[in-house]
Amino acid sequence: MRKYLISFIGGLVILAIMTWLIVTFVPYEEIKSLPLYTISTVSRIIITLLISVAWGISFGILAATNKWASLILTPFIDLLQSIPILGYFPMVIGFLFVLGPWGIELAVIVLLFTSMAWAIFFGVLGAIRGIPTNVAESARSFGLTGWRYVRHVILPAITPAVVSGANLAWCDGWFFMIAAEYIQYKGDVVTPPSGGLGTLLAKAAYIWQDMNVAIILLVFITFIVVYFNTLTWHRIMEKATTGTFKPVFRMDLSGVGKLGIAKATSWLRFGRLHWPKAFSTASQRLRKYSRIEKIIAAILAFASIFVVLFIVFGQFPTFAIISQGFNEPPSAELSYLPLLIAMTMGRLTIAYGISLVVAIGMGVLAAEHKKFAAIFYPLYDIGQGVPILALFPVIFLGLKELIGIDYVALEFTCIIMLVLDMIWYMFLNIVSAVKNIPTEIREVGQLFGFKGLKRITHLVIPSILPSIVTGSILSWGTGWNTIIFAEYLPSTNLSVPGLGSLLDKAGYEYGNTVVLIFLLGIVAAIVLSMEALVWRRLLRKFEKYHVEV
Amino acid sequence: MSVLEVKNVTKSFAIEKGKILVLDNVSFSVGNDEFVCLVGPSGCGKSTMLRIIAGLEKADSGEILFRGQPVTNPTPKIAMVFQLFGLLPWKNALENVEVPLEVLGIEKEKRKHIAEEYLKMVGLEGFENTYPHDLSGGMKQRVGIARALALKPEVLLMDEPFSSLDELTAKILRELVLDIWRNPALPTNTFIMVSHNVEEAVFMADRVIVMSPRPGKVIGEVKIDIPRPRTKHMRDQEYFRFIDEVVELLEKSKDKADIESPISLAAKRTDSF
Repeated sequence: MRKYLISFIGGLVILAIMTWLIVTFVPYEEIKSLPLYTISTVSRIIITLLISVAWGISFGILAATNKWASLILTPFIDLLQSIPILGYFPMVIGFLFVLGPWGIELAVIVLLFTSMAWAIFFGVLGAIRGIPTNVAESARSFGLTGWRYVRHVILPAITPAVVSGANLAWCDGWFFMIAAEYIQYKGDVVTPPSGGLGTLLAKAAYIWQDMNVAIILLVFITFIVVYFNTLTWHRIMEKATTGTFKPVFRMDLSGVGKLGIAKATSWLRFGRLHWPKAFSTASQRLRKYSRIEKIIAAILAFASIFVVLFIVFGQFPTFAIISQGFNEPPSAELSYLPLLIAMTMGRLTIAYGISLVVAIGMGVLAAEHKKFAAIFYPLYDIGQGVPILALFPVIFLGLKELIGIDYVALEFTCIIMLVLDMIWYMFLNIVSAVKNIPTEIREVGQLFGFKGLKRITHLVIPSILPSIVTGSILSWGTGWNTIIFAEYLPSTNLSVPGLGSLLDKAGYEYGNTVVLIFLLGIVAAIVLSMEALVWRRLLRKFEKYHVEV
Repeated sequence: MSVLEVKNVTKSFAIEKGKILVLDNVSFSVGNDEFVCLVGPSGCGKSTMLRIIAGLEKADSGEILFRGQPVTNPTPKIAMVFQLFGLLPWKNALENVEVPLEVLGIEKEKRKHIAEEYLKMVGLEGFENTYPHDLSGGMKQRVGIARALALKPEVLLMDEPFSSLDELTAKILRELVLDIWRNPALPTNTFIMVSHNVEEAVFMADRVIVMSPRPGKVIGEVKIDIPRPRTKHMRDQEYFRFIDEVVELLEKSKDKADIESPISLAAKRTDSF
């Protein structure tokens, strides 16, 4: 407890000193508001978190216990969660901006909500569905029904999922903060009246173009994120995850916290439990929908498109409006669509290849040698803590100075961003998989004299292949999310040609909702077909590699 | 003449606070052609003992002598059969048997031939290309046995080889193992098996070594001189007398420490990685 107090107060003191230093020595007028901006961003994320938790728990319980609610809610929410934040811009802007400054504040919270809420919902849903039949039946036999059942069975069962989901939401909130607090629409930039760290960072990078300030702010933000993670989340999660029926989230990530990362890094008070952001996307996708659910999801998708168009244009979308959308910019670029898709896929593939190789190397080393673990785990922790989107402008400014050609710099920035984003999912999956290689398999290797490379190729790699596939699914999921931001530099007209930047142009520059929806549909189609054609097949193939213990 | 000698082996595992002693000065020897069973309550260190003999773990003090030479690393002369089979799920039955031969540097055609031969011996002809995933528990253990025998070891170690099988399958496999042991054509004729099933031990072994709860010590030895094949004698008074004798030894040791400490058990599990 004393140690906790010391780190709590120590952290606050460091934060205060950092704030003071920045405010005193950074020569921009707006920097003076740093304390206020910090408070408003933190409280904004906390408010959104509370809303997300309340929403996630109530809707999760509803969807898990009511058959009809489940049939409609689950596919609909699955659809909502797969829409990148950009997709919500037209709706938010159409609806909330008319309310004035409060409307903008509300809009930022709504945007944050759209990137924070889903993990909690799916966590709750999974936890309730994971309550063992014998527990549910014995509860019923003792007469626990209705509210009592919720209180004594459901709530304890979902607590770990809610806590982990909330932590995920918290991280996602920081991740998307810069996108939500600096809304660019039809050439205008809208920022919340009470300011925010995201706003400040975006201004430092895009308007002042001052890399030093951007780096300082980034360090500041990262410190806040890591500080909160270390102080609150790790402790809460430790408490909450004991005494559950099974690992909170499946997907081969189970047990990492307890076995590997925690053990190796507890001396640093770094990383206890981490769950990747996109777990819910992948796990939900992999769960096969029944046909009726697919039909409902499709109907809901079309319905929501119509609702959005209706809101934006103020009237029921007619064919004329839609064709008008396809006539306005940037639809001229739609003729290059196959080329743009190829370029975006190329970037993703390169980044994925780099992440894969590096993560396998790092993951195997970290899981097998304590020395490497002591280096990689803290690295992982900080890597996860840095809001990647906020890193974007900083990397770009750095590379621009280094290379000199804006376009090339952006191309490199894009790939670096993707790698930084994708690599940790792979790393985490691989570490936990290597750790979880059953003792007997290890002993077989020892007994029969596998050494060095032979051990890696015959034992380690095959046994982690299933986890590499899950890691890949997660990486590609988050990669698609990130590339939308990585191909386009806000506030300038600089972009690299690709599907992501076209989306950004449609969304940010021209506010062309029709094209935006069309392109989102294309992205969804690519993601889904890749899952069906590549990932599911691989998963099924490697299923038997799983060692039954 | 003894093939294998265990001399004053002591082993402890580090746990969060200090250490726990698992094996305390264990000594015994196993003769040529002998079938020895190590019996003891769970957590008494008998599996650890077997792993030290196999060279998978190192003793804190004491040594293992195989034909007079100390064993410190795994050797093909001493093979092992695992409780949970230890098959590589990404290799089919044939490849699983072939893998250790490949490590020994035996050329492809030859090792395939050897693997087929041993799979046939354990009754798995026709299942060469099946993956562990699609094999039943009993069949998996047959592959495990074939893999161990293919190395032509002199000593075969078995760590509770039948405890994850149903009783009927276990019965058939016990007979198979005994047939292999008695087969004069095979070089493998010294068997050491760990078990917590007293009846199984009395049915199979020439000699049952009884170990105490942790720290594991040898607390007694029962020489089983029931004529073989023993299937005929399983209703005999004598058979039950031997069982009672072993059980009595186990009961006696239980008085001292009858509660299994969960903490130290968990520690043992993580440390054995």
